[in-house]
Amino acid sequence: MKRSYYYKNIILLIILAVILIALNSCGNKNERKGDSLIYWSSNNTQEIEFANYITEGWNKNNPQQKVTFQPVPEGQSSEEIILAAVVGNTTPDIYSNMWQGDVEAYAESGVLVALDTLAGFLDFISTRCDSSVITEITSEDGHIYQIPWKINPIMLMYNINSLKDIGVNKVPSNYGEFFSASAKYQKDTDGDGYIDRWFGYSEVLVTWWQRFFDFYPLYLAASNGANLVKNNKAVFNNEYAVQVFKFLREMYEKKYFPMERLSARQDPFLTEVISTRFTGPWEIIHAEKYKPKGLEYSFAPMPVPNNHVGPVYTYGDPKNIVIFNTCPNPQSAWEFIKYMIEEKNDLKLLEMTMQLPRRKHIEINPIFQEFFKSNPKMKIFAEQGNYVRGTDTAPVLKEVFDLISQEYEACVIYGIKTPEEAVAAAAEAVDLLFIDKAK
Amino acid sequence: MLKKQLTPYLLVSPYLLHLAVFVAFPVVFSIVLTFHKWNIISPMEYVGLTNYVRLFKDATFLKSLINTCIFLAIHIPLQIIVALFLAEVLNQKIKFRGFFRAAFFLPVIVSGVVVTILWQQLFGYDSGMFNRLLVTIGLDKIGWLTDPNVAMTSIALMATWKNVGLYIVLFLVGLQTVPAHYYEAAELEGATHTQKFFKITLPMINPTIFMVVILSTIGGFSLFIEPYIMTGGGPLNSTISAVLYIYKQGFFYYHMGYSATLGFFFAMIILLVVMIQKRFVEKDK
Repeated sequence: MKRSYYYKNIILLIILAVILIALNSCGNKNERKGDSLIYWSSNNTQEIEFANYITEGWNKNNPQQKVTFQPVPEGQSSEEIILAAVVGNTTPDIYSNMWQGDVEAYAESGVLVALDTLAGFLDFISTRCDSSVITEITSEDGHIYQIPWKINPIMLMYNINSLKDIGVNKVPSNYGEFFSASAKYQKDTDGDGYIDRWFGYSEVLVTWWQRFFDFYPLYLAASNGANLVKNNKAVFNNEYAVQVFKFLREMYEKKYFPMERLSARQDPFLTEVISTRFTGPWEIIHAEKYKPKGLEYSFAPMPVPNNHVGPVYTYGDPKNIVIFNTCPNPQSAWEFIKYMIEEKNDLKLLEMTMQLPRRKHIEINPIFQEFFKSNPKMKIFAEQGNYVRGTDTAPVLKEVFDLISQEYEACVIYGIKTPEEAVAAAAEAVDLLFIDKAK
Repeated sequence: MLKKQLTPYLLVSPYLLHLAVFVAFPVVFSIVLTFHKWNIISPMEYVGLTNYVRLFKDATFLKSLINTCIFLAIHIPLQIIVALFLAEVLNQKIKFRGFFRAAFFLPVIVSGVVVTILWQQLFGYDSGMFNRLLVTIGLDKIGWLTDPNVAMTSIALMATWKNVGLYIVLFLVGLQTVPAHYYEAAELEGATHTQKFFKITLPMINPTIFMVVILSTIGGFSLFIEPYIMTGGGPLNSTISAVLYIYKQGFFYYHMGYSATLGFFFAMIILLVVMIQKRFVEKDK
C-alpha cells in the first residue's frame, strides 16, 4: 500500500515536471542582464570574433551602457531566426546581418526603429555614404531603418593561366569577348562526344536568390544600376534585361555554361572544369585554402553589352544593421553602432572577416591602404564598391525575384520563350503582384 | 475518492497537452488562417474567401497537383511490381536470403536527404554514373533531372528504390500466409508457375496489395524532400509537388493564409482518395 502511494507520487511529480518544462520552454529566453543592450551578429566564426572584439571594446569604455553580444541562434537561415524572433517578440536590440531586401517588410510591420529620428544619425550617415546609397536605403515612407554596413560585390572571377592558354590575354569585358573566349575554352576533354569543360557556370536552379549571381548583377552592369521595381511597378521591361537574357541564353544554348548542377562535386573552378564564375570576395579565403599549385586567379567587373558606356555596376549583396523597436534605449544602441562602424573598426572588420565595409571611397582612404597592399585582390572589390547597388525598396522582393526566375528558366535555360517574351511576362506578373498587394 | 477519479486524467494529461498544443491548435488555427492574409510579422487581415478564389485560379497549384498525380501514376505500379517480384524471389530458398532481405531494406532506414544527394550524383548529366553507363554502351545521355519530360520519372525511380524494402517486407508477410497446400494441389493439377502466381498468389495477397497501394498513395502525396533537394521543383515546374508548393508559399513568401488554404484543400483531396480506396477494399472483402 505504502509502496503504491510512493509510486503514485513519483508519477505525479514526473507529470508536473513535464508540464513545467513544456511551459518554461515557451518563455522568453532573450533576457537582458540589467540595462544592457542585446546585440546579435551573424554566426560565422570570423564575425563572431569581430563582434566579441567590438563588444569588449565598447563595454570597457562604456560601463554605464553595457552591450551583451550573442551570435544569431542556429537555424536553417538567419532570416528565419530573425522572423521567428519578431513573431515571438524576442528580437535583439541590435542586429547586424540584415539582408537589405528584408528591411522594407519589417519596416512596414513597424518592428524597426526609424533611425533618421535619432540625434546625429543623418550627419553621420552622409559622411559615411554617398547620396545614392542613402536614397537606396530610404524606405517608401521616407524614413531610414537600416545602416549600410558591409558589402560583398559580385564580380567575374577568372583563371589567369587558362585564359592565357587559349590565347585570351585580356579579361573578357563585354558579351562579344565573352562568347569568343567561351568558344575557345569549351572542350570535350575525354572524347565521348559531350562537352565537359565550360567557360563559366551558374546554378540552373529556379530558386529566387540564385538570380543574385547571374541575372541581377548582369542587369545592374548593363543598365548602369537601374531599378527592377519602382513605386510599386516593374521597371525592368527594357533593353537591358532583354540583352542579359539574350546573353545568358546564348551561353546555355551553345553549351558555354553547363545545364548540369556542378555544386555537389569538387569545386569546378579550382579543378579547372570552368574558367570563370560570378562570385564575391568570400571566394578568396576558399580559393587560397584549396587551390592547386600553380592556379592563379583574379577578379574583374561583370561583362556588359558590347555597346555599353559608363561604369560597370554590380550587385553588392549588402548586409545592414537595424535596431528593433523592442530596444529600450535606441539612442544608446545607435551610439554603440556608431562605435562599431567607425573607421578603425571597419578596418578591423576587413582584416578579421575579409568583408568590405560599405563606406565611400574606401579604396583611397589612407587608413585601409596597408590592408589593400597586402591583399591586392580585395582592392579590386573595394574599387568595385563605388559601383554597387543593393536591392530595390519593396516588401515583396522575394516574389519579384521568383517571378523573374521562373521566366529566366523558361527563356535562358530551356529556350521555350524569347528574351522579349520572357522579360515582358515577368514584368507583367510583377505588376499583378503589386496590384494584388494593394488590394 | 476525488483523488482516485483525478489520477487517470493526470496520467493522460501529458499526452492531452501534447495533442492540444501540437495537433488540435495547429489544425484549428490553420482553418482560421484560410480566411486571413498574414505574413507572420504584420497583424492578420480578414479576407473572407479570397484565398479559396485564388486557389482555383492558381495555375501553378494545378500544375503541382498534376505533377503529384504523375508521380503517383509512375511510383505506385512500379513500387508494387518491383516489390512483389523481389518478395517472390526472396521468398524462395535462395543462398544469402537473409543478407538480401537486409540489403533491400537498408535504404528505408537511411535518411531521405542523404539518399537524395547520392542520387543527384548518379543522375548528373555529365559526371553521373547512369549517363556514363549509357555512353559506354553507345546510347545518348539523358537529362535525368534537367529534362522536364524525364525529371519526375527520375524522382519516382529514386523514391521506389528508397521505399521498396518496406513493401518487400509487407509482401513477404502476405506471401507467407498463403497456405502451401493450395500450391501442392495446383501442382497436382499440372499448373505452371505463372498460373500459380496469377490464380493463387495474387488473389490471396490482395489485402496486402491494397495496403501497399494506400500506404504508397499517402507517402506519394507527401512528396517533398526529393524535389526540394534535387530540382527545387524545376525544370519548368515539372517536379513541383503539391506539398513543395504549399511549403514555398508558406515559408519562402510567408503567404501563411494562402498556404494554409492550399494545405487544407490538399488534405481534403487526400481524404477523398483514401476514402475511395477504402471503399474498394471493403467491396473486395
